[in-house]
Order: sequence, then structure tokens, then C-alpha cells
Amino acid sequence: MNIKIASQRVWGTISKQGAVLAILVLMIMMLFFKTNFYTAYNWLDMLRSAAILEIVAFGVTVAVICGGCDLSVGGTLSFGGIAAILLINIGFPIWLAIIIAVLGGAFVGFINGFLVVHQKTEPFIITLGMGMLLKGVCQVLTDAHPLPSKVPAFMEISNSKFFASIPSLVVYMVILFAAFHYLMRYTSFGRNCYAIGGNYEVAEYSGIKVIPTKWAAFIISGATAALAGVLLASRMNTGSSVYGDNTGMLVNCGVVIGGTSFAGGVGGIRESFIGLFVIQILINCMSMLGLDSYYQKLFEGILIVTIIGLDCFFRMRKRESV
Amino acid sequence: MKRDISARFTRSLRNNLVLVGIIALIVVTAIIEPKFISSANLTNVMRQLWPLPFIALGMTFVIIGGFIDLSVVGMISLSGVVAASLINPLGQVGAILSGILLGGMMGYLNGFVLTTVGAMIQAEVLFITFGMSSIYTAIALLLTNAETLRIARSTKPYNIFTALGSGTVGMIPVVLIVFLVILVIMHLFYKKTLAGRSISLMGGNKEAAFLTGYNVKRSMRLVYTISGIMSGMGAVSLVSRVTTATATSGIGYETNAILCVVVGGTSLKGGKGSVIRTMLGVLLVVLLGNCMNLLGLSTFMQTVMRGAVLVIAIWLDNRREL
Repeated sequence: MNIKIASQRVWGTISKQGAVLAILVLMIMMLFFKTNFYTAYNWLDMLRSAAILEIVAFGVTVAVICGGCDLSVGGTLSFGGIAAILLINIGFPIWLAIIIAVLGGAFVGFINGFLVVHQKTEPFIITLGMGMLLKGVCQVLTDAHPLPSKVPAFMEISNSKFFASIPSLVVYMVILFAAFHYLMRYTSFGRNCYAIGGNYEVAEYSGIKVIPTKWAAFIISGATAALAGVLLASRMNTGSSVYGDNTGMLVNCGVVIGGTSFAGGVGGIRESFIGLFVIQILINCMSMLGLDSYYQKLFEGILIVTIIGLDCFFRMRKRESV
Repeated sequence: MKRDISARFTRSLRNNLVLVGIIALIVVTAIIEPKFISSANLTNVMRQLWPLPFIALGMTFVIIGGFIDLSVVGMISLSGVVAASLINPLGQVGAILSGILLGGMMGYLNGFVLTTVGAMIQAEVLFITFGMSSIYTAIALLLTNAETLRIARSTKPYNIFTALGSGTVGMIPVVLIVFLVILVIMHLFYKKTLAGRSISLMGGNKEAAFLTGYNVKRSMRLVYTISGIMSGMGAVSLVSRVTTATATSGIGYETNAILCVVVGGTSLKGGKGSVIRTMLGVLLVVLLGNCMNLLGLSTFMQTVMRGAVLVIAIWLDNRREL
């Protein structure tokens, strides 16, 4: 009897905190190997490497909580970086170029929102198609070559350090994390997003303006992805159409791994942060242990199938028990 | 009475948009570029379009069943690699059969994983099949060490591959004849057998199908197995055509196959559609690509067009249902 209750509790914890469990497993595993895993430098480096995807994930989370999904962020990411560099190279001031790039991302989000929210199409395939379209646009813009920036100051944005040790990307990520966390937790917009994702019709009947709110969520997602693209372009000092190839799937997987469900209405920015960080830790562990990138791809796939599969499995159990 | 006829005309026009598209495309392109309808060009098209029809055929069943299959990327890559590398140990017939069999096994595995975890909504299916695809691609990378396998290097005869790749009977490529036989079988299977009809039932309404006593899980495994077998066949036809196999050769076919299915008029919501419609979709997509080639558009512009067509097709499909 006690064993049954205890096992149920363990199952429950795993089902809620699959990502945390995965981090713990990886961290315990790394104790047995002599590597530089447990150094402040490595952790800062992991945070910096994860920063771009984390920033994309914050925006995507807003859309997912509303009951949507945004697979076009990969294309938007590439597009944002390329647009910024193109404008800077023809003489725009950096701040203006960044604003225009972010507005471009917001426009992509606007179209996504029109198709998904206003026209009520299924978000998954249509945003996938949108990502493909944007990748084509990026290739046309750059002729499929990497596009270097001619202004050295642009590189400073993502490659400088605060207090002589903290990479600026980590600082941006923390600021955006705080901003998005505040937006989703403590503003009426954020609470409305949860309500819409939880039950669209109930939210509509309670007087929430569902269409503008959900539409805004997609715009936020697009703008954030473009901003992340600008930061990535600054980090690499180039814009390229291949940067976003895996981003869409990876970020959305990371968001779900963290515990934000595609059914909508649950999850949060914090959960998404953890979900993306699991992937980063996994990649870091692999390279620390000297496994080549094929194994990384293999374990990435296994991680995605396992955690999303567990998520489905527990939801199915819940459905059946009701 | 007159209004009735015109309403019926508009409806049938709407339902057969793809036919209208094909005819318009042929007429317009033939006027601008008369080379388009020359027999040399058409033979070329018939030779270059593989493996897309196979993949789209398999994808049709998955989409009619109300799901989606992104794992075709990994399945094509792995099947192709295995088929190419087994020519020496097993002979060409064995190699082809094992490639197709492996495809079926991978498809069954997808279905098995999905039914075990109880993935029912499109989002879950999308991400789990993406994860499976990563796993298959990683295995293919590990097997080949990211090198290109050439069938011309094998010591055993490989004339079946050559026949499939470039052989013709009169004007018609051998692979087209093989494909037409499979197409007829699959069409009859879908229209005339209980298992085929229950796929449609499952796509229309899973709950209802379940409550009526159909084994939804078995149908689900069935559609994924079909998709896997078709990917295996597609992989063999791809290897025959390009005479090489790499671990990344499947990239891009998932979106192209979905594009063909949706353009053909099979609804992404499931339940409705047909094999013949998908073939019209393939025809439209392939002719569009060919006509853009003839008109001298860059491949990047073609990606933009493909993405735009996909987004617009889903949008129109959705509007038809409203």
C-alpha cells in the first residue's frame, strides 16, 4: 500500500519535473568523470551558448501558453540577423537597424497571428511553411552566402563583457527573462494568455479580448526571435540563412521539455528556461566526454522522444483516470 | 436555376483547384517558354521527380489518418544508406528488399512509440516523429561516418539500381511503371478494404472511431508502417537516381511531401482526401519547380515560392471548411 502511494508520488514528480530530473541525472553522471564540467567558467559558457535559444524560447513560450505554437522562429531568427546587417552595411545607425529588424520579426508574427488566430488554422504546419518561406527569403537576400558586417561596433553588442567576466549575452538573457516573467505573471495580458490557453471559449465568454491577445502573443514571439537573430549575428559578426535551420523545432521541443504543454494554459518562462537548458547541458556533457556530434544528434533525439513521450503518457493516464 | 448551376460550378472549381492550377500552369508556361512541353523536358521531369511521389503517397495515409510524419527525413536517409551498403554482402535484390523492410520497421517503430505513449494531438505527433527522425539520421551518420556511399564502387552487379535510376521502356521510365503499380494497389487498399476505410474513419473522428469499436491504435501503427515502407521505396529510388547515398539525403522531403499532399486537397484535419489527389499535388509541385527552372528563377526563389504555396494552400483548405 505504502509502496503504491510512494511510487505514485515518484511518478507524479517525474511527470511534472521531467526536465529537472534530466538535469539531475546529467549532473550526477558528470561527477564520475574527470572533466571541467564543474567550473564557473564552464557554467558561464553554457549560459552564454544557451542565451540565444533561451531568448527565442521566451517569446515562443508566450505563443505556446496561448495554445499556439511557432515553428517559424528559425526563419525569423536568420531573417532578423540578416536584415540588421544589411541595413548597417548600407549606413543605417546600429540602433535603428536593430529596431527595424525587430519590427520585421514582429511583422512575421503579425502574419502568423493573422493566419492562426484570425483565420483559425492549425498553427503547426502553417508556421513550418512560414519558416520555409523565410529561409528562402534569407537565401535570396544573402545569395546563400554568409554576410559579414562591415561595422566593427556591431560586434561589440554580443561579444563584450560586463564586470570583466560576465558575457553580455547572459546579461541580456537575464533582463529578458525578468521582463517576460513579469509580463506573464503579473500583468493582465499574461494572465489572459493563460486563460486563453486553458479554455478558449470560456476566456471569450468571460470578456477577454481573445483574438487581439493571442495575435499579440504571436507578434511577441516573432519580435523576440528577430531580436535573438540580431544578437546571434552580432556574436558571429555575420548573418546567414543557415543559422535558424534547427532552431524552430529545437526551441519548441525545449519549451515542451520544460513543461509548457501544447494544450496551452500551463507552464511559464521559468519552465522554458529549464527546458532549453537541459538541451544545452546535454550538448555540453557530450562534448566534455569527447563524443562526436553524431552522438549528440542521437541523444538529442532520444531526449526529445523520451521527455515528450513521458509528457503524453502522463496526460493519457490522467485522461483515463478522470 | 441559373444561380444553382453557377454555385455548383464554383463549388466544383473550388474542390478541384489543383487541376485548374495544373492546367493554368501548363498553358501559361507553354506560351512563355515553348521548351516546356517538349518531350525532352517532360522526360527529364519524369526522371528527376523521384523519390517525392513515394514519400507523398505514404504521407497521404498518415495525413488522412489525422497525423503527420516528420520522420521521413531520417527514414529515407537510413534506408538509402543501408540499401547502398548492403549491395556487396547481400546482392542487389537483398539490398533493395532490406532497404524497404528497414523502412517498414522504422515506420512500425514510430507507430509503436506513438501508440504506447498515447500521442493523439498533432503537436505531440509532430515532435515525437521529429525526435525519431533525429535518431535515424544519427544512426545513418554513425554507420557511414558522414561519408558518401557510391553504388558504382560495389563489386556485385547493381543493374536493377541502374534500371530504376535511368532505364526506360519506350518513353516511360521503369521507376514510373513500378510506382504506378504500387499506386493502384494503394488506391484499392484505401478505397476497398476495411483497414483502408478505417484509416479515414480514424482521421475523421478518433473518439467516434474508438467508441465504434475500431482499433485506433492498430490503424495508427498501420499508417506509420505504410509511410515507412514508402520511405524505404523512395530511398531506393533516390539511391538509384543519384547513384549515391548519404546520411543527409532525406532533408527537405518532409515539407515537400506535406506540400504535395496539402496542395492536392487532402485536408490536414484528417479524414478526407485521396491518393489520386496527392498525385495531382505532386504533379503541380513538380511542374511548378520545372517551370521556375525554365524561367530562370534561382533555387532560393523557389524555396520562397514553395513556402508561400504551402502557407496559402493550408489557408485555403482551412477556409473551405469554415
